[in-house]
Amino acid sequence: MEYVSPEGLRLDGRRPMEMRQIRAEIGAVSKADGSAIFEMGNTKVIAAVYGPREVQNRNQQISSHALVRCEYSMANFSTGDRMRKPKGDRRSTEISLVIRQTMEACILTHLLPRSQIDIYVQVLQADGGTRSACINAATLALADAGIPMRDLVTSCSAGYLNSTPLLDLNYVEDSAGGPDVTLGILPKLDKVTLLQMDSKLPIDILENVMQLAIEGCKAIANYIREVLLENTKQLEYRRGV
Amino acid sequence: MGLPNVSEDLSSEMEVDAFRRLFPLRYFERHLAESIRPDGRPLGKARETSIFLGAVASANGSALVKIGSTTILTAIKMEVMTPSLESPDEGCLAIDFHMPPICSPIVRPGRPAEASPVVSKQLSDTISSSKMIDLKELSLVSGKAAWMAYLDIYCLDADGALFDAALLSAVASLSHLQIPVVAMNDDGKIVLVSEEDGQKREQEPVNKEKRKLTLRSIPFSLTCILHKNYILADPTAEEESIMETHVTVVLDTSGQLISLYKPGGPVLAYTSAIQDCAALTRQRVKELKSFLDKANSAMEVE
Repeated sequence: MEYVSPEGLRLDGRRPMEMRQIRAEIGAVSKADGSAIFEMGNTKVIAAVYGPREVQNRNQQISSHALVRCEYSMANFSTGDRMRKPKGDRRSTEISLVIRQTMEACILTHLLPRSQIDIYVQVLQADGGTRSACINAATLALADAGIPMRDLVTSCSAGYLNSTPLLDLNYVEDSAGGPDVTLGILPKLDKVTLLQMDSKLPIDILENVMQLAIEGCKAIANYIREVLLENTKQLEYRRGV
Repeated sequence: MGLPNVSEDLSSEMEVDAFRRLFPLRYFERHLAESIRPDGRPLGKARETSIFLGAVASANGSALVKIGSTTILTAIKMEVMTPSLESPDEGCLAIDFHMPPICSPIVRPGRPAEASPVVSKQLSDTISSSKMIDLKELSLVSGKAAWMAYLDIYCLDADGALFDAALLSAVASLSHLQIPVVAMNDDGKIVLVSEEDGQKREQEPVNKEKRKLTLRSIPFSLTCILHKNYILADPTAEEESIMETHVTVVLDTSGQLISLYKPGGPVLAYTSAIQDCAALTRQRVKELKSFLDKANSAMEVE
């Protein structure tokens, strides 16, 4: 199957280095300490953060820093065919772990000892790049909850199909079986917190694909900063500051 | 000169907030004495309501409903099944209400929320007893194939009156539902006819004319809280937790009573109180019907 046309266009009409339309909204869940909706094309994700709060299970309490927990789940209707997977399937468990470890790398947990931070992520619509969207949504939700972080974490995927590096893969491209690199970075510090790759890829091409993913992450970081700034302005306006 | 006033405002605000947390019932009763609620609503008024149809692109029908902060997303997926022997020319409706941990600080991962199975059962009973849908409309080939409609109802934000929002969301998604076109192939199997190759197919679609469900006597509900002599319509989660006696009245668009639900609680309801709740529900049904009609007509324009 041809994923990039001779004119250099992908199946959904994007250019190889073009991202899908992104949209974010803060404060989607009233009861949560922080929450956000993040959309990348047809992938829609909602994240909620509860905490810092008292540790539920005293045996897990850590005296030196906060305990970070994460749960990723997909709505039954999020994919083409209705999902019948049990709640704790392997993929969900793996993605929960990935998100938790990625977020732990940026949260200043030592400032919140003996407490617990719960990050819950729900996929409402899946069209490729769900783990990237989840990380971006979780970052926004953590910022909304006022949890201290070293920097924002932003994530984006890139792949290599038809001898062309592609940015921000959708479901069709993702399931084509080609290499898929998911990257998470701290944009200001220029540090990588997450790097996952499926399938084989020559090292010289990996650099190009990674560079493409980094550019995608930085573009998302700029957008997230704008959203946070706009939200802060609205809060100031509401409080009459 | 402005700064001292700001700090005074903040301190008084802090005192109010502290009083609200320490003595929630007294705080609410002070408002009730003035026939108003802490959020500024009169006692019998429901929160602002909005309906967005087609919220999920990957579903056959979907709706996002907001009643105040309570947010419910419903999506319907249609699958072909073999009908049961008892009802060979009827389809089936499966309703599932989910409360993921994002929706409330009370819901924790691992164990499902207490309310989930209760609301699921209530919704199933209400929709089936209202006779809103004729299940014969979901039949494709008598005795061989029928539609199974899976209604997955997700609570994204739980801020009271979950059943009301879930029912409205379910009804809205059913009104938005587009039944896929299917045909029977040479092996006698039902296959989807995609929009593009519909013309090229030799097989005639089985359900060309049955693309939308006919909804009759649509049910709508209103939950009220009974506290002393007061009746509070459409409670928030905070109100529900403080004042524990709820009455949920379900009426259809013709004004017929479909169900009445009062799960215990410390207040014993007088018949007159139940009638007052029904009167409030009657008003609310008209409101919700107009909201749903507006949402549907907006979809038609698009």
